Amino acid sequence: MNEQQQLIKDTLDRMLTDLCTPEVVDKTEAGTFAKDLWNALAETGLTVAGLPEGSGGAGGELEDSLLVIRESARYAAPIPLAEHFVAGMMIAMQDGKVGHEILTVATGDFQVDASGKVTGSGEAPFGRWADRIVFVADASGTAKLCVMPTSDLSIEEAMSIAGEPRDIITVDVTPDGNAVMTTDDDSGDKLKLMMVAVRALQMSGALESALELSVQYAMERNQFGKPISKFQAIQQQLANLAGEVAASTMAGHAVTAAFRDLDAVDIAIGKTRIGEAVSLGTDIAHQVHGAMGYTLEHTLNHRTRRLWNWRDEYGTEREWQVMIGQAFLKGGADTVWQAITERR
Amino acid sequence: MFQGLTFEPFSLPEEAEAIRGEIRQFLADTLDPNELPNSDFNAGDNAAFSKKLGEAGFLGMTWPEEYGGGGKSFLERYVVTEEILAAGAPVGCHWIADRQSGPLMLKFGTEEQRQHFLPKIISGDYFFSIGMSEPDTGSDLASIRTSATKVDGGWLLNGSKIWTSYAHTNHFMVTLVRTEPPSENRHAGMSQFVVDLHAEGVKVTGIRNLSNEEDFNQVFFDDVFIPDNMVVGEPGNGWEQVISELGYERSGPERFLSAFRVIVEYAREIEGNPTDEQLALLGRLAAHLVTLRRMSISVAGMLEGGKLPITEAALIKDLGNTYERMVPELVRLASIEKPSRRFIDTLNECVLHAPSFTLRGGTREILKGVIARGLGLR
Repeated sequence: MNEQQQLIKDTLDRMLTDLCTPEVVDKTEAGTFAKDLWNALAETGLTVAGLPEGSGGAGGELEDSLLVIRESARYAAPIPLAEHFVAGMMIAMQDGKVGHEILTVATGDFQVDASGKVTGSGEAPFGRWADRIVFVADASGTAKLCVMPTSDLSIEEAMSIAGEPRDIITVDVTPDGNAVMTTDDDSGDKLKLMMVAVRALQMSGALESALELSVQYAMERNQFGKPISKFQAIQQQLANLAGEVAASTMAGHAVTAAFRDLDAVDIAIGKTRIGEAVSLGTDIAHQVHGAMGYTLEHTLNHRTRRLWNWRDEYGTEREWQVMIGQAFLKGGADTVWQAITERR
Repeated sequence: MFQGLTFEPFSLPEEAEAIRGEIRQFLADTLDPNELPNSDFNAGDNAAFSKKLGEAGFLGMTWPEEYGGGGKSFLERYVVTEEILAAGAPVGCHWIADRQSGPLMLKFGTEEQRQHFLPKIISGDYFFSIGMSEPDTGSDLASIRTSATKVDGGWLLNGSKIWTSYAHTNHFMVTLVRTEPPSENRHAGMSQFVVDLHAEGVKVTGIRNLSNEEDFNQVFFDDVFIPDNMVVGEPGNGWEQVISELGYERSGPERFLSAFRVIVEYAREIEGNPTDEQLALLGRLAAHLVTLRRMSISVAGMLEGGKLPITEAALIKDLGNTYERMVPELVRLASIEKPSRRFIDTLNECVLHAPSFTLRGGTREILKGVIARGLGLR
């Protein structure tokens, strides 16, 4: 982590500690957007840290935004930081501009017909709170990037198991000229890969937080006359969780490094390795927390329910494992090792 | 907030990558195609292979040139080590001498010891075993009872060491012994000796392992005379010396590659017409391996930078060993139709060696204790 990133992390930690309390997360779930939190981050430029200045961003490195996304997941920040960044990246690729607004992305099935009419539907995280929604549509074989004001869409509200909006948007409109742009044919894949990458990083952040909460709880909770952290059975469980967190952090670093060129294999490795860590890690975190962790009162649930949602989004472990398997088998059995060492 | 969980990204530098081609060529030219490769460092010994490796400059690579060493970086050695293991070469003879005994002498040994032993390790003429465990001492290493008493010009050694791989064919054993009776400080009063395995009073008895090989042993010492110049480091400093090696011992590629040939043979079985299920398994195994390797290289970078990442190393060994155990268990269920003899043999060899993966070099339970300490739980 360089100096700039350490500064971002420290600033972010302070803001999230103050403004992203468990109460704020719960309120969001009950339907109130965490406006103060979003505005505070937007004012300091943290919502657009890594977007190019020319596109309305703060002009930092991509890594800065990815750091913000990972760290905010440690606090279960219930705002579309990841989606806003990916949407902004898609817009920046077309030399478009991000304003003082909230963006999100949608994935699904969208078309543009010969008259310029856009139709289709898909899922948009936080769609109800966004000003504009970015998605890729098919125009008889060529890809179009659509950046549509939410007022042009119909939104059916839906929630993830984490209580975060995962709204279904439906489009049936002929928008203004600059809402639909011709884009690279693989733009749909790019958008999805970027979402895979940010979800992997969010999972790595939230899992780290689950470890911190678990260690803290084990030290505070007394049974049989001593803190449960003194029992070997608990220590061994927490050591296992620590291993999964460490592996996830490493896989997350690789995802960050792979983001610039959108290296699909490294991003997929991150999603699947961290996804596996989530299964094992949340099991341990909940076991250590006992019945307290099974309540909505304890903030552990803000992390674990998000983790269970994120691991399923944009392709489960299984879907990406098939793709990784293909990549490593491409040259046959005797080149598997070479393929491993090429992942630097 | 925790100690020992920080793995910064680190890439092997170009000069380390540059050596990869050389070692691959050497292995392609040298390995016997009729021998079944095995990536477990304890699963094969071949003195002729080790000798050739030495002649080609791949032993003692990081040691100073004045002793015949290669003067290369630890990261270059990392590349050579992982290539040798991935190819499934028989490394049993030189493994300990190259990884542990030589570096120990460089760090703590006398000039005389370095000049005597290092060139012969480098040429593949001296092979070393390691003597730590005893019949009544495993994980609790401080409870060793093998002891030496001071006599004129040296020490008289009595007791026994166990699980000493290749002691029946190797030349020397670096042996941890008590040179003072146990005191309140359990870790005080231990020393490291170089024991000539052919000296008078040394007896080696083979022990058969699960795959019916006699690669490990019990070594008995009956009034074995150890001259003063065969004490490594300060008498009484043995424990600190042993601990100082743990970062290297536990974080290397041998801690997650032991089952690698099973993956290669699995890939060979499915490469013609894989199902999605089979591809997913290969993808899963690759995702773990790539991540473990990155963690291990991250620690290699810390070691090269002079740090002592003991918790990180324990964590890699624990995760890596768990992975090595998982590979054969998953591959055997991968619905291979008409498996080849080669695949079956590779898989079964791994299954039979696998119980040792999570025991040698620190059991799973000991490692978790080290990690728990890093978490502040102990």
